[in-house]
Amino acid sequence: MLEGILPEQIFKPLAHKVGFSRINEIRIRADKPILISSLGQKFFLSELGACKELNRAVFADKSMIEEIIFRASECSIYSVNEQIKKGYIVTKEGVRIGLAGNVIEENGDLKTMTSFSSVNIRIPHEVKNCSLKAFSSIVKESGVLNTLIISPPGAGKTTFLRDLVWQISERNLAYNILVLDERGELNIGKGLGLFSDVISFSSKKLGFENGIRSLAPNLIITDELGEWEDMEAVRYASNSGVNIIASVHSDSIESFVRKLAFKEILDEKIFKRFVVLSMREGPGTLEGIYDENFSRLMRW
Amino acid sequence: MKWVLIIIMFLGCVGLGWFFSMKYKKREAFFSSLIMFAQKLDVEINFSRERLKKLIETMDEKSKKNLFGIDKNFLTYLDGSSELTHEALFKNIQFLKSEEKETIFLFFKSLGRTDVLSQSKEIANFSKRFDENLATCANENKKYGSLCFKLGIIAGLFVLVILI
Repeated sequence: MLEGILPEQIFKPLAHKVGFSRINEIRIRADKPILISSLGQKFFLSELGACKELNRAVFADKSMIEEIIFRASECSIYSVNEQIKKGYIVTKEGVRIGLAGNVIEENGDLKTMTSFSSVNIRIPHEVKNCSLKAFSSIVKESGVLNTLIISPPGAGKTTFLRDLVWQISERNLAYNILVLDERGELNIGKGLGLFSDVISFSSKKLGFENGIRSLAPNLIITDELGEWEDMEAVRYASNSGVNIIASVHSDSIESFVRKLAFKEILDEKIFKRFVVLSMREGPGTLEGIYDENFSRLMRW
Repeated sequence: MKWVLIIIMFLGCVGLGWFFSMKYKKREAFFSSLIMFAQKLDVEINFSRERLKKLIETMDEKSKKNLFGIDKNFLTYLDGSSELTHEALFKNIQFLKSEEKETIFLFFKSLGRTDVLSQSKEIANFSKRFDENLATCANENKKYGSLCFKLGIIAGLFVLVILI
């Protein structure tokens, strides 16, 4: 993973001294020390692996960042410009690289980003059975309940969703699952089981409409709802009799219900379950499961 | 024996003339191919937005015919197997002048580093410079290419007369 994308002086200690299986996030900023996040803790990257001392840390420079982005785009930045406009690139291995730099606007439209100054590399993980505790609350005899996975960034929403697809698909509930993978992060390895179709890099609106029309799914699973038009897509799926499991950024159920974009669909009680994850005991800590009235069903 | 030596000497002179004239032919053919290569890339980047490596690999042989391996050397860099240096890019290419090499190097270095619009403009700018190079090369080939070959023949005849 990330071989050929990261420069040698970063790749070697990460791969051989730290191990990618233990890393959640790598932050590389121009003229600043490289930070790695492992099991909820932050470390500097040194030539000998992870360390806490700043004087041993490896420092990144601007050319390093430019080269990482160039390599992550498979030497073709023009081919990923639509992703760059949204602030990230996803590699073919499903690694999402968040970008910071100068935004170029033209007539009010975002044209591209240049002079990259930092990247945030999020390493995807497959944690088998991480969704099992919540499984029985989401999947009933009658079918799958519309569910939202709520957590702050980096707390394991995508990993949870990926395992949930696998669990449902493996149990063969005669469900046709459509995975709408807008950022190319869900569909990595063989983690999505045997009975799922995947639409990648499509907006929610287009993906929901085309997917429902052409693939007749029973269940749509997608990552990170947030825009107003996403709510329209959710409503369209719900009205079409398709179940939805999705995720959303928020640090608690209280702050989530205050999000204006969700007000209408919460009032309509489209979602029947809310699963809250946190970083309290490392990524993927299950905090609680709530019903459509926000009554807590389970506590850990 | 004397006649064999005379024939060898004559052919040697003609061959030498031909060898020097080939340099000019190669230069002209190279720039002509490079312009075609750049134009194809421009069209494909605008149309399919496919990755650079795939574009070059799947490009028809006609467009790469006289690039003398520069495309393959660039693919090695895209694979991450080598750095993009003058030595690596112009391996086995002796007939280019250093300023021409610099322009071509900058052209390859610019590929894949910007969005479609900027990439397209950049390719168009380089294509203009390659057009100028091609015009110079065609002129040189016309002037010096045939001159070298003719000089080779004249030198051969001269040797032939002296030896006889």
